[in-house]
Parts: sequence; C-alpha cells; structure tokens
Amino acid sequence: MTSFRFEEIEHTADLALRVYGRNLKELFANAAYGMFSLMAELEELEPTIKREISLESLDYEALLIDWLNELLYWHEVEDEVYTRFTIHTLSSTALTATVEGVKAEASKAIKAATFHDLAIVKAEAGYVTTIVFDV
Amino acid sequence: MVTKKDLKRIEDYLYEISKSYREDMRVPARVYLDAELLEAALGDRTLEQLVNSATLPGIVGYAMAMPDAHQGYGFPIGGVAATRYPQGVISPGGVGFDINCGVRLLIAGIGADEVKPYLGTLISALYRNVPSGVGKKGGFKLSPSQMDQVLEKGAAWAVKQGYGTQDDLERTEERGAMAGAEARAVSSRAKERGKNQLGTLGSGNHFLEIEEVVEVYDEEVADAFGLFPGQLAVQIHSGSRGLGHQVCTDYVRLLQEAVRKYHIELPDRELVCAPLDSPEGRDYFAAMAGAANYAWANRQCLAHLTRRTFEEVLAGKVRDWELTTVYDVAHNIAKIEEYEVDGQRLKLCVHRKGATRAFGPDRPELPDVYRAVGQPVLVPGDMGTASYILVGTEEAMRASFGSTCHGAGRVLSRKAAKRQIRGDKLKADLEAQGIQVRAGSMPGLAEEAPEAYKDIERVVDVVHRAGLARKVAKLRPLAVMKG
Repeated sequence: MTSFRFEEIEHTADLALRVYGRNLKELFANAAYGMFSLMAELEELEPTIKREISLESLDYEALLIDWLNELLYWHEVEDEVYTRFTIHTLSSTALTATVEGVKAEASKAIKAATFHDLAIVKAEAGYVTTIVFDV
Repeated sequence: MVTKKDLKRIEDYLYEISKSYREDMRVPARVYLDAELLEAALGDRTLEQLVNSATLPGIVGYAMAMPDAHQGYGFPIGGVAATRYPQGVISPGGVGFDINCGVRLLIAGIGADEVKPYLGTLISALYRNVPSGVGKKGGFKLSPSQMDQVLEKGAAWAVKQGYGTQDDLERTEERGAMAGAEARAVSSRAKERGKNQLGTLGSGNHFLEIEEVVEVYDEEVADAFGLFPGQLAVQIHSGSRGLGHQVCTDYVRLLQEAVRKYHIELPDRELVCAPLDSPEGRDYFAAMAGAANYAWANRQCLAHLTRRTFEEVLAGKVRDWELTTVYDVAHNIAKIEEYEVDGQRLKLCVHRKGATRAFGPDRPELPDVYRAVGQPVLVPGDMGTASYILVGTEEAMRASFGSTCHGAGRVLSRKAAKRQIRGDKLKADLEAQGIQVRAGSMPGLAEEAPEAYKDIERVVDVVHRAGLARKVAKLRPLAVMKG
C-alpha cells in the first residue's frame, strides 16, 4: 500500500503508517484516510453521511492522535466508515473538521492510535509523521 | 539501538542491560531469552522499548521482558515493571489498550475422543452462538446502572445473573473483581462503547478453542488442577473490548498534561504516567480496575455461552460434557502487590503488559484449592501448534515480581504474514492436520498464522528452565474459532 499520501510500514505486532502532507491540514486528512484504509476498502464508497468534529488539545501531536481516536470512537459506536476529511481550521491546540462516510462495519479493528515515538517532522516538501496503531 | 554487546549474560536464559547503557535509566533492564529468541529480540525495537520503561519514576529492581517479548508501543509486549507504591508512577501504556486481555481455561470430565464425532457441529454452533468479529455487539445489553455494577463487581455480576457459578469466581484471578474499581472514573464514551459488547469475543488474536490435553509433565500439580491426559478442554482468549480501549485512550490523553504538571521526563509519550498517589494516578487506577472487571465479566459471559452451546450439541449424546473452570488469568494489567526487595517488604504497582501473574505456593491471593501448589498459568500458543498450562513458582516471586510469559509472541509483522500466507490455504492446511477452523475474516486468519509467532515450546522452555513457571500440561487445538 504505497501512495504519495501514506504508506504502511513494518511493525512486529501492530500496524504503522508513515503519513505525508504538503501542509498540516493535509497531513491530518491523509492520516485519517490512511487509518480507515487499513480497516476497510474505501475506494468504492460514496459518502452519504456527514459528521462535524471539533477538538482541543495540548499540541499538534496530541491533536493528531486525538483526531484519529475521535474518529475511531464514532466509527465504533455509530458503525460508520469515513472516506472524506475536510479540515476547516487547525492550530497547535484546536481543530475543526467535517468528515464524510457511510454506514458500514470495518473488516479489521484498530483499537487506538498511539503516541509511540510520535513526532510531526517538517520535511522538504511539507510534513511527515509515523503513527503506530494498536490492533 | 541495543546490540548484543550491550547485553551481559547473568545466568542461563537471563541477560542484563546495565543502568549505564543510557543516562535516563533508573534501573537495569533484564530479559529472559535463549540464543535464538535473543536474535528475534535484537531484530526489532523490543529492547529499546524495554530500556525506555526502565526510566519510569519509582521503578524498582529491573525493567523486565519475558521470552515472548516483542515490539509494542511504549512498553514492549511481554514487559514487566514494578513501581513503588504510592510515590512511584502508574502508566496506562504499561497496561495497554486491551485492559485485562486474558485467558480462561475450562475442562470437561471426559476425554476429547468422545466428542470428536461432534467437533464440526460443536465449533459451528459456537461460531453461531458466541458473537465474534470486528466491533461485534453482543447479547448482553447493559443499562447504565448494570454497567456500573459490571465495572465494580466484575464476573460476580455475571454469576449473579445466572451466567456461572461461585466455583468459577473462586478460580478467577482477583475472584473476577479487582478492588478499587470506580465506575465514576470510566468515561461515558467508554461506557457507550461497552454497553452492547459484553459477551463478545472480538477479533485479532482473540479466539475460542476446543482442545485436548496431550501431555502431562507434573502429575501431582495436574491432579490439583483437575487435568488428565486426553481430556477435553476449552480455552477463551478475550479482553475488555471497546470499553477498555477507550479507558486507555482517555487516560493516555489526560496524562499528557499530568507529566507536565509533575515534571516527569519521558523518552516516549506513550509511556505517560502519573504518581500513584496523585488524583490523575488514582483515577486511572480506578478506571483500569473497572475495565479489568468488565473483561472478567466478559469472559464469564463467553464461558456461559460456551457451556450453553455444549449443552445444545452434546446433551444426551455423551456424558460428563459439563465444563468447569480451571483458572482465568489477566495478561494486560497493573496490580498492587507486596514483595521482598533487598530485605524490605514493599508494596508495589506491578505492570504486566503481555505478561501473566505466576504466583508460587502460599500466596494469600490464591484460592484454597491452589494455595498448596501455586497458581495455574495459562499460556496460549498459536492456532496450529499447542498451548501450555504452567504453575507459578517461588523463583518467580523472587526474580520477576511473580510474572511469566503470556504466549508465543509475534515474530512476523501482520503485513509480512499476509504477504506470505493466504487465509483460505491456511484454513485448508489446518483442517488437513485435523484442526477445524471457523473464522470471520480470511486475511485476519492469515495474520494469525502459526508462522507469525515464535515457537511456543521454546518460549515455555525458557520460563521453565529459568524457574519463572513450571510445565504442568500441554494442550493441542482440535477446533478454533476466530473473529
């Protein structure tokens, strides 16, 4: 699973994604798409539902993990899978976004996104980060 | 990166990374391995993660890794760390997201041969009656007040509903309910996720297996555990489901602020922690204990569904099919326990992340039936080979805060397993070996293939030889159900 947006990297027990973005908003959107792509086939899904997300956190890294775990929560309790992620505002401590998806169950469970070795790094053409998921 | 030259051999199967390896280590790190397992541990970030856990404030003795250890997040899986109570810290990352993931072993009074003609029917009926798979909702829907009781009373709640016996509770770690659990410390989100998942197996490495006792190594202890060669057994591996995942998510987030407040420096943010006697530390403990109790209630409900299915399929066909509990153990948990350290009796918070309690004889925590011999330790293997029943030892009390291994331990990433193995071919291969398989997802099955795991015999041999638990009996799978 390789693309310009994210790639799955080896981890003995869990799943890990390296995520890229030309800017932070894109990094956050790509991380969410990457996570759901580990859980379900997203390409054929046409969104029919919308959910507004608003979060506050300590810093960009904490916000990224909160964002992913927020989506995992709604996914599990509402049986929804998200495929489209629009980040409206993003600062180091707050995020607002709209996510779109469908009513569906995942084929693979992710328990949570973790803070393990987490760092959002400024790269030549934007930002990159590696996220380890507990599965 | 830790290399071979950083490891000092202390005795057979025990290596140490000195405290001088990294400035921020508060204690040395110790790892129980043989030469081959050592190569596997050096192949990923297991030992580096172990060194990170040696930096926790208040850690006592050694940060330890069991022979099944592998790379995780924060702590390695297979990690044990004890911190001084109450000044030391408690870390949600040292317990994991699946709080009280654990194993229950049930046995029947008959030989497995007697049910072999009904195995296919039995495993199909279990697959039908026991909800499993990703995010599955179960048959035990909880009202808010029932949820609070499950969080505080654990498996005893399930027994009170008629889903088991007092004998089941007697033979469950903590009698199925950890003291100190408080429903108020568990978020409404966690309760929302858990309210219709009680009595569900889940997915991933969770399973329900019908097994046969194929070897007995220690007749006296096997007898005390009620085991005999050829016996029919059932093993259930599951945890606290979405509720436990959310409790861990909530507190890893909350404690990000606590580490700033208490000026704790950490090499990895997933190790966030708070002093045990701080409001944040106390709240996490109360919530974790609640999630652990939910997991014990869950395995109690899963055992009930299993028994009902056995009755449905076997009653009137064979005798003595009734299932009794041997024991139920947690392998992702933090517990307050007392140990002798440097001649002093200390109260410690023992984090076991992918490690099993292995109490030797005479501990007051053990039920009367096992106090003379020691605690049954359940070590599930992969679905194609074997599982082991061990007994806790006095040596484990001295060397590893009463802890031992929890399974075979992964060696192959899920991605690599899926690349190398096809689920449907694996199912056919297992069935050719006489192991029936029911699985919700073929790619999911492939990720759990025997090749993805270390050799369970080797892992168990190391703990047996190092004295961290003794071999009692070996189980072979006959039929496997996966989510």
